[in-house]
Amino acid sequence: MTIRHRHLAGLAAPAIGVLAFFGAWEALVRVFHVRPFVLPGPWRIVCHLVENPDFYLRNAWPTVAAASAGFLIALIAGFAIGAAMAHSRFVERAILPIAVLVQVTPIIAYAPAFVIWLRFGARPIIAITSLVSVVPFALNTMTGLRSIDLLALEVLESAAASRREIFWKLRAPSAMPMIFSAARISVGLALVGAVIGEFFAGVSEGLGHAIRVAQNNAGLLLDQMWGSIFTLGLLGALGTLAVTSLERRLIRWHASARS
Amino acid sequence: MISIGVERITKRFGPVEAIADISLSVQAGEFVTVLGPSGCGKSTLLRLVNGLIRPDSGSITVAGHSANAARRAKQFALVPQNPALLPWRSVRRNVGLIGEVNRRPDRLDGGFPTRTDAISSPDEALAAVGLERFADALPHTLSGGMQQRVALARAFASGASVLLMDEPFAALDEITRAQMRDILLRLWERTGITVLFVTHSISEAVMLSDRVVVMSPRPGRVIAEETISLPHPRLESLEDSAAFIAHTARLRHALHIGFGDETTRPDQPTAAAETTDQPPSIGAGQ
Repeated sequence: MTIRHRHLAGLAAPAIGVLAFFGAWEALVRVFHVRPFVLPGPWRIVCHLVENPDFYLRNAWPTVAAASAGFLIALIAGFAIGAAMAHSRFVERAILPIAVLVQVTPIIAYAPAFVIWLRFGARPIIAITSLVSVVPFALNTMTGLRSIDLLALEVLESAAASRREIFWKLRAPSAMPMIFSAARISVGLALVGAVIGEFFAGVSEGLGHAIRVAQNNAGLLLDQMWGSIFTLGLLGALGTLAVTSLERRLIRWHASARS
Repeated sequence: MISIGVERITKRFGPVEAIADISLSVQAGEFVTVLGPSGCGKSTLLRLVNGLIRPDSGSITVAGHSANAARRAKQFALVPQNPALLPWRSVRRNVGLIGEVNRRPDRLDGGFPTRTDAISSPDEALAAVGLERFADALPHTLSGGMQQRVALARAFASGASVLLMDEPFAALDEITRAQMRDILLRLWERTGITVLFVTHSISEAVMLSDRVVVMSPRPGRVIAEETISLPHPRLESLEDSAAFIAHTARLRHALHIGFGDETTRPDQPTAAAETTDQPPSIGAGQ
């Protein structure tokens, strides 16, 4: 079997799983005549999406922008926090309880507070998104910066490499696989943050906003709710795909990226 | 090239006495091997010599300066047990790694030399270990022996004048190990670099060295010294010579004495016992 064939064979199982899931859903809705305002079938949702591309593009844009901005801020801030934690056990132990608290407190609980501090608009949404995805970056960066080859460290120290040189030439590249696995988690978290932010931030665009509006007009806009949900799922899948393919390219050397 | 003097050093880690009163000297350009059982403090000795840790007492001088000054002057190149290559760097960039750090070492106004022989650049060092064709490969595509050759090239390309080698061939198979000895000896002869080599293999010690220093089990102390009188270049066939076998036998005997295992050859007085002030403690630290 060639590599290409094996690649295609590897795609068969997930494709069958996805088709079976949506097929069962569609069958359920049709066989039991479930009314659309309770649960529309996936085919109907897909048709609705295809018929209203402008609406979904217009509303996906601010959500994607906020999620991406929050994701990048979380990546940078998380790297800095993780580096400080890796550098000093004291800092690690001081920050760890806060990090755990931030992670276990439901984001939806403190989202309104952010809106009060930062007013309506994009700022609280980006802040919420950053906060909800920063913890995985910080903790994984810390672990990654510490998981180095100690003999390589000794080789560098024997040549009196500075701490800065050791950080950029040994620690940071060693942390890449861990940072990528944080990124895969944070793609989903950033979308959660962006949608919740839009629920509270009084914006007039965005997929979160579209869902809220649909909820208040449930009888009329049920398709809009499910169209937004499907779009968010698609965005999450695309984001994960982007992170994974970047990972494959950047850390070819790592065992997890070798086939 | 530069000499190393180790003067009555001791080192403990908490309750563990790693090194008890070791003195040894390495002349400039000499190849000295420290031979001893696992856990006798050989690696600790290397870390003390290259200034990564300090002795509790005693002194270490490198070309008349402190070990730490020599380290800052980039006089040391370490070849560890595993190649310890950076997996994200190509072979060439691994060999060039040491050149990228500590770019302006403090040579103390000529107190330390700069090696400028033919294999102090990455590409030349790679060619010297026969791996120029693999310069752009990633380390994981190479065999274990090839990876250790890259580590050797990295050490020579650093321009250091002292090579510190910590059982560098222990993880390799017998045939690869013989190849590595050969490569190392040729590079040593070409560059005249000073080598402090640590191993638990008697034949490796005899094959490579000008002089072998035998260490006892923990706490490590020097229990014997053997000057190897074999001619250069040293070919594998030497291993069957009477002189080689005699050296090997004497070193093996010295090691047994170190273990307090005096019953192995009770009929012979030992060189080891004569070179130590006190009898080695039996099974200490084991």
